[in-house]
Amino acid sequence: MDSSLSGQAFPVRHKNLSVDIKGHKTDIILCSYDDHFLVIATQIGSMGTILHARKEEGVSIHPTFNVSVVFGKRDEPMLVACARQLIEHMSNSGSSRPLVLALGLRDHSVVQSQ
Amino acid sequence: MFFNKHLNRGGGLNAAAAAIGMESIPDGLRIAEEETPSTGSSQSQINHNNNRVCGYIDCGVHITCFSEVSDNGTLHFQIIRLHKQIYAWIGCNSAKFGHLYAAAPTRPNNTVSVTSLLGGASDNTGSGIARRLALKTGLNVIVACNIPKNSPMLEADAEKKLVQKLINLGYTRPKSDGTSP
Repeated sequence: MDSSLSGQAFPVRHKNLSVDIKGHKTDIILCSYDDHFLVIATQIGSMGTILHARKEEGVSIHPTFNVSVVFGKRDEPMLVACARQLIEHMSNSGSSRPLVLALGLRDHSVVQSQ
Repeated sequence: MFFNKHLNRGGGLNAAAAAIGMESIPDGLRIAEEETPSTGSSQSQINHNNNRVCGYIDCGVHITCFSEVSDNGTLHFQIIRLHKQIYAWIGCNSAKFGHLYAAAPTRPNNTVSVTSLLGGASDNTGSGIARRLALKTGLNVIVACNIPKNSPMLEADAEKKLVQKLINLGYTRPKSDGTSP
């Protein structure tokens, strides 16, 4: 019979917080999987635009990154810039895991990602 | 104090609103009726909300994580309920992210469309789950699933457990509204 797992922590760690950005309540969720990070930042009650950012395997000293929109707005360069900034930060901190970033923001003029 | 008096009588906020001649409650006041914390974050949190509460109050974010052991292996489930969307991750024996799908009811008949976002080019394990979740909940769903391909029994088992949990949490639509599950 099926039974719930007892005595073992759930394999995916997550963190959930809510901050106020320029008067908009912003829910931020961070999840750590084996091979990806998932970051959701939403002000609109849904995940919004989903981006995928990863570090490319290469021989040069400076890593290059590939960032693309997989769902949602493809004409907002600030969202792509935000994902690019985040993946570079993560790479500089020593993690090579790709990032799935979901941004559901009301105002795209300036994106607060940190 | 005026509102508390009406709430304690079981009339609810609507009755309180009517009592003072208001047609609707401003969002700031509705928070008082929320039964659960506005941002839930815990392991295995079970929210027995009724759908009415989440229908017109911003419930913030509810995260539910649980695991089920079966003969086929260990299935891990993570459900994130946003106000207008549900995200679900299904892990089979590992915490790999897997393939990502999006499904949503689309006009004109509320039929559900599903698309693969990450991975899953020839292998559509998980796309059926995403599609049926969107049917059952009436919301946009994003599903990440790392069940290996060519495992229909495992996929069906995972879907059954996930749907049961969604029903327990009150995220599914009641069948009485005429739409088929």
